[in-house]
Amino acid sequence: MTSEIPKLSVGHVAKCIRCERVIYKNGWCNPSGLLALCITALLVTIPAFNQPLISLHLLGITEETNLLQGAIMMIEIAPIVSFVVLFCAVIAPTLLITSIAISSACITFDHKPIFLPKLFKITRLLIHWSMLEVYLVSLMVAIFKLMNYADLYIGLGFYFFVALLLLNLTIISNYSNRQYWERYHNL
Amino acid sequence: MSKIALAGKSGKQQGLQVCGICGNYSDYLSGITQCPRCGNDISLRKKHSLQKTWALLITAIIFIVPANAYPITYLLKNNILYPDTIFSGILSLVESDMRGIALIVFIASIVVPVLKIIALAFIACAVQFRWKLSQKKQLLIFGFVDWIGRWSILDLFVISIMVAVFDKGQILSVYPGIAATSFTIVVITTLFAANSFDTRLIWDAQRPAKKLSNQDSLNND
Repeated sequence: MTSEIPKLSVGHVAKCIRCERVIYKNGWCNPSGLLALCITALLVTIPAFNQPLISLHLLGITEETNLLQGAIMMIEIAPIVSFVVLFCAVIAPTLLITSIAISSACITFDHKPIFLPKLFKITRLLIHWSMLEVYLVSLMVAIFKLMNYADLYIGLGFYFFVALLLLNLTIISNYSNRQYWERYHNL
Repeated sequence: MSKIALAGKSGKQQGLQVCGICGNYSDYLSGITQCPRCGNDISLRKKHSLQKTWALLITAIIFIVPANAYPITYLLKNNILYPDTIFSGILSLVESDMRGIALIVFIASIVVPVLKIIALAFIACAVQFRWKLSQKKQLLIFGFVDWIGRWSILDLFVISIMVAVFDKGQILSVYPGIAATSFTIVVITTLFAANSFDTRLIWDAQRPAKKLSNQDSLNND
């Protein structure tokens, strides 16, 4: 079904009459607000990936683990697994936030660079591959498994990671690729 | 672009095609292959959607066998290697009385991939052989599968955490096995398969055959 989308007031959605899927959502989509959220998220990214997520006392040694280590350590034995883990947990979320930040900045400051359509296209694809919430649940599973083996402490990185996840979810739920395209054409 | 789309009629009936990237529509009868608004490739339906979905699904079906049969992780403890398949890992979780965690891992690494392959294959069959089934129900299944699919990557993340934590050389280490790579391929191919499937085909399949062949010839242009 193809139809012209009527003018909607904020908070309303347009649905397909055949399958009842939402085809357009006129939500709060404020580029300058999203830019601020993205910059915050990018700052939080650094400690979330660098600082230890969990630390554990094992064989008399305290071992600290951060998000990047695990993926990088597998690179020689299982390069595909390592790449997918890195991509879904680190690369995709960071790129997604960066690309939303750049496109929001361009729209906020009325700037129309030549790469902007490409950036919108990439952003749309990256949303599917950003899997921070899956990582958090995995971390919980790992923590429960490990509690059998050793004393476990939650590290500083964990709190930053949760903050990053919340920011990321806020950004994704408020970002509208469609509205960005519309604003791009009105620039 | 001058035409205004009417609600209640499909794009094909109105001679319009929708851009998958920017969401705007344009005339398809005049032979436009690039979206006039964003410049990306545009077509009436996703090109070769069903073929791509089948190819990716078959790949997933092949790789799900080694993913479950071979060890997904090796635990090296005091110089002895203990292999663990997906299923034996879940059993050992049940034995150590972590039923909740076992359930999560079971759903994410066994139920979701299998269910996803079966559901996608079923919908693809329904489209291919034009089974007369409720379209909305098919879409509901597709939507559910599409949403839950990403959670099967959970086990891979858990492995990456385990590998990082158990890193004591010969005394205590964890290594990923062959099944980890196979499992990754299953997850990725099913994600792509769902992505390459054009849900509008569900409705196309139940139209009279004449119109469908018409659309096929348009797609191949």
